[in-house]
Amino acid sequence: MNRGSSSSSYGSGGGASDSFRRRSDVARKRNNKGGEAAAAAAAAAEVSFIVGTCSSMCPERERVTRERLRDLSVFERLYGNPTKSSTHLAVKKFCRTLSAADVQASDIRPLPVLEETLSYLLSLLDSREHPFEVVHDFIFDRTRSIRQDLSIQNLANERVIHLYEEIVKFHVISGQRLQGSSGANVSSMHHLNMEQLAKTLTTLYNIYDVNRKPDYIYENEAEFRSLYVLLHLNTSSGVMGEPLSLWFRKLTSNLIKSKEMCFVRNLLRSYRNGNYQSFLRTTATEATYLQYCISEPHIREMRSFAVECINNVCYKLQPYPLLQISQHLMMKEMDVESLCQECGLEIRTDSDGCIVLPTKQTNFRSPKEGFKNYDLIGIDIGRLL
Amino acid sequence: MAYVSMGEAHRRITEYLNRFCDAVSYQDSSMLCRLLSFSSNSPSLISLADALNVFQDASSLIRQSEKFSEYGEILAHLFRSLQSYRVGNLVEAYLAFDKFANAFVQEFRNWESAWALEALYVVCYEIRILAEKADKELTSNGKSPEKLKAAGSLLMKVFGVLAGKGPKRVGALYVTCQLFKTYFKLGTVNLCRSVIRSIETARIFDFEEFPRRDKVTYMYYTGRLEVFNENFPAADTKLSYALQHCNPRRERNIRMILKYLIPVKLSLGIIPKDELLQKYNLHEYMNVVQALRKGDLRLLRHALQEHEDRFLRSGVYLVLEKLELQVYQRLMKKIYIIQKLSDPARAHQLKLEVIAKALRWLEIDMDLDEVECIMTILIYKNLVKGYLAHKSKVVVLSKQDPFPKLNGKPVSS
Repeated sequence: MNRGSSSSSYGSGGGASDSFRRRSDVARKRNNKGGEAAAAAAAAAEVSFIVGTCSSMCPERERVTRERLRDLSVFERLYGNPTKSSTHLAVKKFCRTLSAADVQASDIRPLPVLEETLSYLLSLLDSREHPFEVVHDFIFDRTRSIRQDLSIQNLANERVIHLYEEIVKFHVISGQRLQGSSGANVSSMHHLNMEQLAKTLTTLYNIYDVNRKPDYIYENEAEFRSLYVLLHLNTSSGVMGEPLSLWFRKLTSNLIKSKEMCFVRNLLRSYRNGNYQSFLRTTATEATYLQYCISEPHIREMRSFAVECINNVCYKLQPYPLLQISQHLMMKEMDVESLCQECGLEIRTDSDGCIVLPTKQTNFRSPKEGFKNYDLIGIDIGRLL
Repeated sequence: MAYVSMGEAHRRITEYLNRFCDAVSYQDSSMLCRLLSFSSNSPSLISLADALNVFQDASSLIRQSEKFSEYGEILAHLFRSLQSYRVGNLVEAYLAFDKFANAFVQEFRNWESAWALEALYVVCYEIRILAEKADKELTSNGKSPEKLKAAGSLLMKVFGVLAGKGPKRVGALYVTCQLFKTYFKLGTVNLCRSVIRSIETARIFDFEEFPRRDKVTYMYYTGRLEVFNENFPAADTKLSYALQHCNPRRERNIRMILKYLIPVKLSLGIIPKDELLQKYNLHEYMNVVQALRKGDLRLLRHALQEHEDRFLRSGVYLVLEKLELQVYQRLMKKIYIIQKLSDPARAHQLKLEVIAKALRWLEIDMDLDEVECIMTILIYKNLVKGYLAHKSKVVVLSKQDPFPKLNGKPVSS
């Protein structure tokens, strides 16, 4: 069994990670004492972690086996040949039955290789050759394998954080695109995607916490923590199992006061009080792209709630103009029409030619899951990307 | 550490061994409790620990006598734990205590009567406290804390031992509460579910049979869980039970219960008297209560900000935030009352512009669209009875009871 060298464990400066600088202006003073002590402790402890030696994206023996068994994804086939791949195309598959005892170092990819692999996988996202579900499926599985390799080697430093953050981004953005597509297994893919998103976030949070220096938060930590809140706006939808009130208890003061957390807490307050106006406006002006993607189902929820309230509450003799609804809900007028239809509500054209929603209709129903999301008018896409 | 001669060390250890074995033979539970309470830091335990560290080979002493060697395994681990505890090796102390506890529980199972229940409680308490300390030591050395989690497993084991038909079963609630404290500390409160299910549905348990003190603690924790999950009526029932049955002299405990009960009651539209808040030093809620009474949204927001850390840490912040709608309701009622005084015929019409003006007085800037949104929600959730005439930008209030009280029910979702 290989013994872990200090460069692969908690945050101490190994050669490669020193030369790696992220887009941060602030030089981080690293207190190596903690790192060395931890490494020493790990060495002294009964458990030592494997250091991978596989130098390509897929271990040779796996590639050869899969070539033989014709178990190659379309992205891995050399010139479309279902029995031939190459070191530039084959990517290690996720294997559920992996137990630490059977694993060889040659099957595990070290950090630099994992970084290359992820980079390559993400470059496939824009591929137009195949339907999106196929692309998603491939990247979904292969990133899961990357996470497996990371965890078996017990890697946890800033480069690893970057990898997990990129994988979270993939799940979020991919999840949003899946919502919009209409293939046969989309809803189960979406569900599995959310599951892995939750797992990746949990691991990411653990790494943020490991060996944390007091009052220190990582560059993107506030944003990635804020995603948890957005996944739990609704108290009854326990995606990751812990009630929000409990979760907030553990956050450090710096995190709570960060711009990103303040934003989601505002959103949370608006959501819980049913204040759709404030919810939509705040999202439009302040959400980052990731936050927006995760918020889409709630935007939708708030909009149908708004329509429900308006229908319920407004004077029967004054049907509500769709144009005004579209302004309140930051939607195109024709999208409002579509939304009303989804909610089982009828619309009319009045004597002035305006499209209106007659109120006090009795057949309102919540729109079904899985319908398309309507654009948020007023959100500055340029700000997001 | 005090200097102890070998002879003195020998004497102290033998004395302890005798006390321990006699306690078991004569079923003297309170003696046994004293002998096991590490955290009490009693002089006799400290002096025993010093003696052990000098003597070093207490196991030989244990083996020498038949009386002692009957409990050889238990005592050996206990001594090792005490030694480590005394010199501040808390992880080692925990590991040894865990082994001791396991051995002790095995022995406990063989004792037919429930005479040693109090001593078992002490063991459960001590292991939790030791585990917390051990985890602190681990984190300060850069390692991941896992002893409290392990203590949780042991406590579950003890629970299993007590969950039977005999007289020992009344101890199950105490162990449950130790489990609650463990899970709350770890943040893994979802694990509480299985013990709760056992206590509340297993036929061997009759809730009324449990000691009062344990029932109060149980209701306190299960009440808090309901608060986390925002089941306010259930939280009200449980926390109120805890309050009612809590020893009135335990002011600290009463304060703890009230800390959670007050936000729950507020969510149900029930406002506590200022005297209560003052008596139990709950001044952090004073402005919240005042804001609700006066419909002062600015005061509510200010109060939440002022005590943000405290409210977040106790987990009631989100509950208090939701009181905003009730504050709005109160504000609308005030506007209505004022209008009634000046122009009763048209008092039931609330112009959105007037509402916006009132909010501006409270330094809250809201455009008419958002005011309309708020009014729409208030009407939808039955906090205001009436309808919105949006063309005229007016809310027309119902002539009867336009601001229904919550009457013990939470605001509808």
